[in-house]
Amino acid sequence: MLTGAIILKSERKRKSVNAKLLWVKDPGICIAILGIATLLGYVFKSFGLTDSDIIMLYIIAVHVISILTSRIQYCLISSLIGVVLFNYFFTYPEFSLSAHDSGYPVTFATMFITAFIAGTLANKLKRNTVIAEKNAREKEEAALIAQNERLRANMLRSISHDLRSPLTSISGNASNLMANSSTLDEEARQQIYADIYSESMWLIGMVENLLYATRIEDGRIKLNIAVEILDDIIAEAVKHISKTHPHRNIAVDMSEEIIPVNADANLMVQVIINLLDNAVKYSDEDTPVRITVRQQGEQALIAVSDQGKGISEKDKQQVFEMFYVGDNRSSDSRRSLGLGLALCKSIIESHHGTIFVSDNKPQGTIITFTLPIGKVEINE
Amino acid sequence: MNDYLVLVVEDDKPIRNLITTTLKMNDYRYAAAVKGEEAIMLSASHQPDIIILDLGLPDMDGIEVIERIRSWSEVPIIVVSARSEDSDKIAALDKGADDYLTKPFSVEELLARLRVIQRRLAKKETNGTSEFVNGKLRINYVSGCVYLGSTELHLTPIEYKLLCLLARNAGRVLTHKYIIQNVWGNISDNSEASLRVFMATLRKKLDDRYETNPLIQTHIGIGYRMMKL
Repeated sequence: MLTGAIILKSERKRKSVNAKLLWVKDPGICIAILGIATLLGYVFKSFGLTDSDIIMLYIIAVHVISILTSRIQYCLISSLIGVVLFNYFFTYPEFSLSAHDSGYPVTFATMFITAFIAGTLANKLKRNTVIAEKNAREKEEAALIAQNERLRANMLRSISHDLRSPLTSISGNASNLMANSSTLDEEARQQIYADIYSESMWLIGMVENLLYATRIEDGRIKLNIAVEILDDIIAEAVKHISKTHPHRNIAVDMSEEIIPVNADANLMVQVIINLLDNAVKYSDEDTPVRITVRQQGEQALIAVSDQGKGISEKDKQQVFEMFYVGDNRSSDSRRSLGLGLALCKSIIESHHGTIFVSDNKPQGTIITFTLPIGKVEINE
Repeated sequence: MNDYLVLVVEDDKPIRNLITTTLKMNDYRYAAAVKGEEAIMLSASHQPDIIILDLGLPDMDGIEVIERIRSWSEVPIIVVSARSEDSDKIAALDKGADDYLTKPFSVEELLARLRVIQRRLAKKETNGTSEFVNGKLRINYVSGCVYLGSTELHLTPIEYKLLCLLARNAGRVLTHKYIIQNVWGNISDNSEASLRVFMATLRKKLDDRYETNPLIQTHIGIGYRMMKL
């Protein structure tokens, strides 16, 4: 409460100081520029230039003042002062406000009107530029919001479409079991149980990604960055995949060193799960999936490789885009949402890392990403 | 027949059915409660061996249920919570819960957690001895020596303290905060990072890093647990 009050107070103070500064600033600009014009006028005069050249000088000064100050009043006042200064310093008799030549009143009037009109135009121009800039900014923001909206709409459409098929399968299978479980033989029942199980497992995996994805889209993602041990993160992800794909061989190539990284552990586990999941899905049952870790200077490099069909050059450009689904069907022929890799990219980039795809030899895909190494002070 | 009586506290009916059916099929005895007050009454009257407690109850916070039960009983408590936040689980563990399950959990996971607790309950009588034996690991508290099989391990004082803390609480998930308070005594900004590095080197010395059934489990974002092997 107390600190809140103090902050409020000092803020108010700063605001009033700003307002005061504005009051001093604009007249200051007027005085300075008119002063400079007068000095230059003397220089001009010593070079033998005529009155009309000095008048031009004052008109330019008013022009500059209109651009630099905020209000039109300053333009009016400085036009007037300009005329007075010209009269006082440069017309005969000098250093007096009287003018002997009968043509001078007309000159003064013309000078004032020209200065004022030029100044007004300059001021208007400035205001228009400011407004145009503001409009452009607003338009950009609106476009961004529209893009987010489109993305969200796409996501919802895509999800509700993809939720339908597993839900149909689960509810249909369950209703079959309820209605005719006695007429089904054991084998058919087992098949139904297995289908219900695998469909719901798919839903679980998707909901998890979706949760993280929406968190990022709203710009709300709260990274919980801490110094984590890379081993632990990878072990957790591998444990998860060994549960969902018990028959697959996942080889882990860890560095001998203990590598601390700066990361949000939960999100990073999800990244590696997504990469391993893709690798397992897009390669044959009997081929190994490998995860390797290397330290390179201030970066840790984590690579997930498979021996599947690989990714075409065209798809390589787009695999990290949200909702991009290539022509490849996964081995379980389940359609992908095109969320996994896009999510990985968002997460890695918010960790100041990079992610890229390359070819495995002799065939397959390698996806590599980097993470900054964490610094630890040891408390003995 | 399994002798253990499990109290299930869960307001969501399908989940409650799932848990009780699983218990029944695996020969556990069980009692079920829907609300917090009911859970506290049942745990006083029935003296269950294990409690499975959902944190989101309609009448009171699950954390409060733990606090109330802990005021008179040391019964092992497994909390169940939705995915959302680690902070709920950490708060529950710090208030005295022993383990946690995150929804959606599998039936095998639930049974595995129950077995961990049963192993702990079965070995409770051996507490208070001068030696701790768990799988290949042997700690002699009197001489301060640690053996893995027949080879002696050379641990730093901090590593030894960490290992003893985990051993004394084998089977329980210990939060980062709990471990730091018990090993270092105070919490500074870098103590969690420090703890992680110590645990990583300790596990390396225990040859535990790539085991499929590790002696020490890392619970990301939460803490560590020594398993009863």
